[in-house]
Amino acid sequence: MSKQHVTTTINGEPAEFLAEPFMSLLDALRDEMHLTGSKEGCGSGDCGACSIIVDGRLVCSCLMLAVEAEGHEIITIEGVANGDELHPVQRKFLEHAALQCGYCTPGLIVATKALLDRHPNPTETEARYWLAGNLCRCTGYDKIIRAVMDAAAEMRGVTA
Amino acid sequence: MNVAMDADSLATLKFGIGQPVPRKEDPTLLQGQGRYTDDISLSGQLYAVIVRSQVAHGRILSIDTETAAAMPGVLGVYTGADLVAAGFGLMPKGLAFKNRDGSDMAKPDQLPLTTDFVRYVGDPVAFVVAETQMQARDAAEAVMVDIDPLPAVTEPALAVEPGAPQLYPNVPNNLILDYHYGDAEGVAKAMSAAAHVTKLRIRNNRIVVAQMEPRSAIGEYDPATDRWTLRLGCQGVFGMRQMLSSVLGAKTGNIHVLTGHVGGSFGMKASLYPEYLCALHAGRALGKPVKWTDERSDSFLSDSHGRDHDFTAELALDEDGKFLALRLNGFGNVGAVMSNSTPQPSTLNAVKNSIGVYRTPLLEVNTKIVFTNTTPVGPYRGAGRPEANYYMERLIDTAAAEMGIDRIELRRRNHIAADAFPYRTPSGNDYDSGDFPALLDHALALADWDNFSTRRTESRKRGKLRGLGVGQYLEVTAPPGAEMGGIRFEPDGAVTIITGTLDYGQGHATPFAQVLSNQLGVPFDKIRLIQGDSDQLIAGGGTGGSKSIITSGGAIIEASGLVIDKGKKIAAHVLEAAEIDIEFSGGRFNIAGTDRGIGIMELAAKLREGMQLPPDMPTTLDVAHIYKGAPSSFPNGCHVAEVEIDPDTGETEVVRYSMVNDFGVVINPLLVEGQAHGGIVQGIGQALRERVVYDEDGQLMTGSFMDYCLPRAVDAPSFAFDAHSVPARTNLLGAKGCGEAGCAGALPSVMNAVVDALSEFGIRHIDMPATPEAVWAAIAAART
Repeated sequence: MSKQHVTTTINGEPAEFLAEPFMSLLDALRDEMHLTGSKEGCGSGDCGACSIIVDGRLVCSCLMLAVEAEGHEIITIEGVANGDELHPVQRKFLEHAALQCGYCTPGLIVATKALLDRHPNPTETEARYWLAGNLCRCTGYDKIIRAVMDAAAEMRGVTA
Repeated sequence: MNVAMDADSLATLKFGIGQPVPRKEDPTLLQGQGRYTDDISLSGQLYAVIVRSQVAHGRILSIDTETAAAMPGVLGVYTGADLVAAGFGLMPKGLAFKNRDGSDMAKPDQLPLTTDFVRYVGDPVAFVVAETQMQARDAAEAVMVDIDPLPAVTEPALAVEPGAPQLYPNVPNNLILDYHYGDAEGVAKAMSAAAHVTKLRIRNNRIVVAQMEPRSAIGEYDPATDRWTLRLGCQGVFGMRQMLSSVLGAKTGNIHVLTGHVGGSFGMKASLYPEYLCALHAGRALGKPVKWTDERSDSFLSDSHGRDHDFTAELALDEDGKFLALRLNGFGNVGAVMSNSTPQPSTLNAVKNSIGVYRTPLLEVNTKIVFTNTTPVGPYRGAGRPEANYYMERLIDTAAAEMGIDRIELRRRNHIAADAFPYRTPSGNDYDSGDFPALLDHALALADWDNFSTRRTESRKRGKLRGLGVGQYLEVTAPPGAEMGGIRFEPDGAVTIITGTLDYGQGHATPFAQVLSNQLGVPFDKIRLIQGDSDQLIAGGGTGGSKSIITSGGAIIEASGLVIDKGKKIAAHVLEAAEIDIEFSGGRFNIAGTDRGIGIMELAAKLREGMQLPPDMPTTLDVAHIYKGAPSSFPNGCHVAEVEIDPDTGETEVVRYSMVNDFGVVINPLLVEGQAHGGIVQGIGQALRERVVYDEDGQLMTGSFMDYCLPRAVDAPSFAFDAHSVPARTNLLGAKGCGEAGCAGALPSVMNAVVDALSEFGIRHIDMPATPEAVWAAIAAART
């Protein structure tokens, strides 16, 4: 099957790659663009480890075809920090030790960023429901939720 | 003498033992820069896909690989016969136990890939290697495996019945081990003479480990050096190399095992799995690196499962509620194939951990370990420890209800007293320390136990049932074993710790560096950890059984002592003093009674630059030490769970959760608290949601995250956490292993809370998982 040429924007930079028509966007990111921060935890949209942001929407990249990225703006975990400076969500995850094995973490950071970009002042329950699409087997979620609430407060300019 | 604290000393304090230091690896992991096995792509790498049995039991008639072999990109299709022809031996036989009559347990020979019979859905029978993952996947579909199906059995109680399907010809009745421990006669006498005997049948439901990173491995072989290289996620590269050595028939020096980041394991990745051997075989046969990465749908079938015991538990009490004897009779289902620690959870760990924090003079455990046509069962967070605590704690709540004694009072009457240590249990363990009555009080206060009735009334107004449960646990952790303590002063000024435990999420690099920093005054940020390179290790017990801080921490402490011994000799030479006059403290070698000295980092730098030393003088500070290990530690604690149940739907929510834990000396409270949280939510998962279901043909019905209910953020509570530490007396740090304790507290506290909420219906027991359906059905049955 012939490969298709895809032109897109990834983390603010123009990007192009060749993709077979059946290739998932996750595989294109990992294998073609060498952005291995997005993880495959299930391949069926149940775990959220492959979460990315497409035109401002939170998406499981394992459920999107690579060719569907044509013309869209994509943010992956590699584009969340500002150079060497961690995003507040990343910094709060670090301070709270809200990660253990770290495999689900890129997805959770991206999902949290998507939440706070849209809803800067979520309740804890709202945060738990928003992140319910991201499975984590290690942390028990408590520290994740504390980090999210703390990051939200800081980003709103409120001292937690 | 006033010597100003230098920057290095201040850094040492900030990163000292007991400080909540953030983790060294987190900036990397948080930016998606982690290097898990599947993130590695080697030049020329090929891809392997495994062909698995689709039936639970059957005889392999033929495996036709021709069509697959001719497909585009396919470079090899291999079966078990190819591995045998290539000289691959039998899989490791793991732990050895004796039957009650003194004979050895059954240990059938197991090849990496089966050649005659398939024994579970997912049993690997062949594998395909191609230039791309997609080509390998397509070709795997084209491998024709002709299997003559046989009847399957999935329940151990049925598998031991006469006429049941037989998995191995030399394992009659599928019985691997007829395990017995304890004083059967004494227990029988106590039971018959007791004022009361509480008896419960308790199912310990089968669990899918569901670590978020699927297993992955890259196999290579270099003919020029006759060396195998395996990259994979595991729990200890030293032990993995040993297991590989036996199957490959290669010397350990000819095997190199490398592990980078590991995306969770919980016991599961400790075993040697057939897929790793497939990748190595193909790597040698094809002369290129071969990568295999599991897909989640295969992980459900091929990663070892956890738990799956079925016990009848009995507790004998006198008229005052004093415990007289405990007896467990039951089954451990180990699936179709032995994994490396298969029989232990429902035998030895049931023995050691059912005693808990109570004086129970007599104990008997009888376990039948049985093969069934199901996925192999391996260790899973606690590996029998949490469940044994669970059996005891459920017995206590039930006995309290049956005898009309308050459940807290019943615990108090039976606690091992704080002044009773050392205390020898009937399981042969010597508890060194603890304060169980105080922990219970502390936990009840933290949980606001006394005001529960107010909260119950409030719940009732909303139509909800509210229940409160306590789970007081003690785990026998940290099985003794040797561990490497390596310390190396690097050319770039870093100090490397080399040790053979291996973290798969625990964050070892940080607490180990805290220990080293504390011992040697080495700046925390200069310290690195090597744990995942077998070429660097001279010993390594791996991680498991909540032991890493005790074994590696102890190894680092002893190794630090050796560094200081060497350093004193060299410092004496540099400072032109007698060795006996050199003291070491705060990272400096000083001449006693003077302000003359040299810092350890400065000394290391001088050695690097090269200096003239007398011939009998050590030339480096580096140490490669083997620490013999310490006795088991006994972490314990008391958890209090509070649940709300909707009687109309059966839905249970954990609404409050409080815990007080004794982990001895805590090196890093930030990480330890996280370990407890994670274990508790795994426990809540097992208690309320998770369950592996097979149909009668042995097909897995819960084979995806849509069918298998892993806890999500909305299913987990917030936690109240307090420490109540009594330092261990038997290891160098005074630490007690924290990794598995969360499960041990959660199973009993949550289930006791569920039963408490349902007690008004006369319900005395409900099995895990207390799913909405199970709870609703129990209420409905009680109402009729």
